[in-house]
Amino acid sequence: MTAAHAGHAITGVALANCLGVDNGTVFERAFAGVDSFSPGSAYFDFPFETALGILPSLPPAELDAAPTRLAAVALASVRQLRPTVRAAVDRWGGDRVAYVFASSTGGLEHTERALAPHPRLPATAAYRYADHSIDATSAAIAHDLGVTGITMALSTACSSSFKALASAMRLIDRGLADAVVVGSADSLCRTTVFGFHSLGLTAPTATQPFGRDRCGITLGEGSAYIVIEREVDATRRHAIARVAGIGAASDAFHHTSPHPEGLGGQLCMRQALDRAGMTPNEIDLVSAHGTGTKLNDAAEAAALARVFERRVPLTATKSLTGHTLGSAGLTSLVLAVESLRRQEIPATLRATPVDDALGMAVVDKLTPARLQHVLVNAFGFGGSNASVVVSQPRRP
Amino acid sequence: MTIGAVHIMRASFFSTHHASPGDVLADRERPFTAPAYSLLAGRARRFTSLVTQMHIEVCGALQIDAADPPTAVFATCHGEIQTAEKLLADFRDNAMVSSARFALSVHNSPSGVYSVATGSTAPTTTVTGANALAAGWLEAALTALDTGVPVLLSIADEPVPEIFHGPTTQVGVAAAFLLAPSPASGGRRVELAITGSTDDAVDALRVLARAAEAAQGSGRSGADAGARSIELGLRPATVALGHIRPGAGLELRFAEARA
Repeated sequence: MTAAHAGHAITGVALANCLGVDNGTVFERAFAGVDSFSPGSAYFDFPFETALGILPSLPPAELDAAPTRLAAVALASVRQLRPTVRAAVDRWGGDRVAYVFASSTGGLEHTERALAPHPRLPATAAYRYADHSIDATSAAIAHDLGVTGITMALSTACSSSFKALASAMRLIDRGLADAVVVGSADSLCRTTVFGFHSLGLTAPTATQPFGRDRCGITLGEGSAYIVIEREVDATRRHAIARVAGIGAASDAFHHTSPHPEGLGGQLCMRQALDRAGMTPNEIDLVSAHGTGTKLNDAAEAAALARVFERRVPLTATKSLTGHTLGSAGLTSLVLAVESLRRQEIPATLRATPVDDALGMAVVDKLTPARLQHVLVNAFGFGGSNASVVVSQPRRP
Repeated sequence: MTIGAVHIMRASFFSTHHASPGDVLADRERPFTAPAYSLLAGRARRFTSLVTQMHIEVCGALQIDAADPPTAVFATCHGEIQTAEKLLADFRDNAMVSSARFALSVHNSPSGVYSVATGSTAPTTTVTGANALAAGWLEAALTALDTGVPVLLSIADEPVPEIFHGPTTQVGVAAAFLLAPSPASGGRRVELAITGSTDDAVDALRVLARAAEAAQGSGRSGADAGARSIELGLRPATVALGHIRPGAGLELRFAEARA
């Protein structure tokens, strides 16, 4: 058993994805269960059927500040957090606020349009190798926010944003920062869509996580940001939630297929609970990784069955947002924070008929519930797994 | 306020164009040499990229006890950049991509391959971007201090294909270190230069060579390595102090800075 951590106050959240480019719209549509996917042809003429979660356009004035699609996707969330980050900078000083960013594909979409141009897609005005990198947007965003502390970038496929959160928590725990802006963004790109299709993992229609007839992933683009701060009275007063515990583990099984019993998932969920000082019985809701593939959902269900000795309510938010890759974990976490605030569980769209063989208590309609602690999963290629327990804030 | 120190227990180094860290520092090059990657076999050997093979090479050279696998921090500025070039060509020329290639295109491919090859379920992470070299050290050191047990740090980068108009070096380089938390103690303290980023590939090569040579050299001979220094690229909010004890390897000491 690992010693429980003190916890980290979440003082701001921001989301942007196919549901909308501001928190209000995203939350309203998510909790209303609005299907926001588009046909794949809305992005590119793929030689196969697929659905995609495409970010609505930002206002033109905002877009002018975004030189790449990745920057536009990130900016949609970042612009919402400026007041919160300004307050953190005022509280701690700019050099005590760090910026930790995660992405799976970084600026790959920009590179694709420059080096593999296609008449269907806008040409790039200029190409610099620096725009390809995972951290292509970091310096500009940190500058925009007035953040001058440590800047780091991480990339572990679909668990990326939770690995970034773990790094951010360590910076605070070891006294190298008092607040951290933790963000993630992934834009759609051809490599990703062609690639997941090549592995037989994309659904021809909208994804159906944990459904009996599920047949794959719906890819999406989006960004998710949170501000975490050292827990003191001042931050507890402003906190909207807290990170109670985080865990990580590897499957050590296969690079793209999950361990059949979800071994890494079991280990990281248990570690997150240990670090939160909780038992599985204290978790009110699981926000599953829930990609909608046969193998992934079965493996996650097997892991959940081993960790929880009851049918804990489960929701899969990729049915709403699509799979936003490196941003998937934080996207689900921010929706979990909103669940804690509303005391409601968003529906897993298209899950009915549920795959009874998985034995999961899938929430398929908006459901009021008493929610104190939510466990969120993010699993990825390379057998990279991470789980986070997010809880109601502690008040001073 | 000093927040802790870590000690390098073991180090390994590989360069496609140098036989040793000393050769890097002396500018003695050799013809291209591929890694032997003894941990990889069959299909994994065929499909993995140079950067993955180099990571596996240096991690394998540390001869870590398989019964007690450490948390692993992988660091890379450019990731699977040669695979990215091949994928671009795939869909540009053929409107499809190779599934095997795509499966190993993510930045954490090396850590995934390593965990499968060693059967380790320990957590891994991958630090990347322009300051990955320094941020990797920081992440590994903080993880060691956080967990109180040894942590594997593996750093590697392969040459960036010309099409990307990136760094022009043709040298592939990797180094791995087993770091452990260590109590503060006496000895010579060497200040590390904390300047900008070390995304310049030639600088990165020399930094890794210097780190590996310092760790290996002091551990082997007990020589006073105090004259050596390691330059880490990191934004200026953090100060790192190198703490080298004769005969006991190299320590990196991280201290809070108030500029």
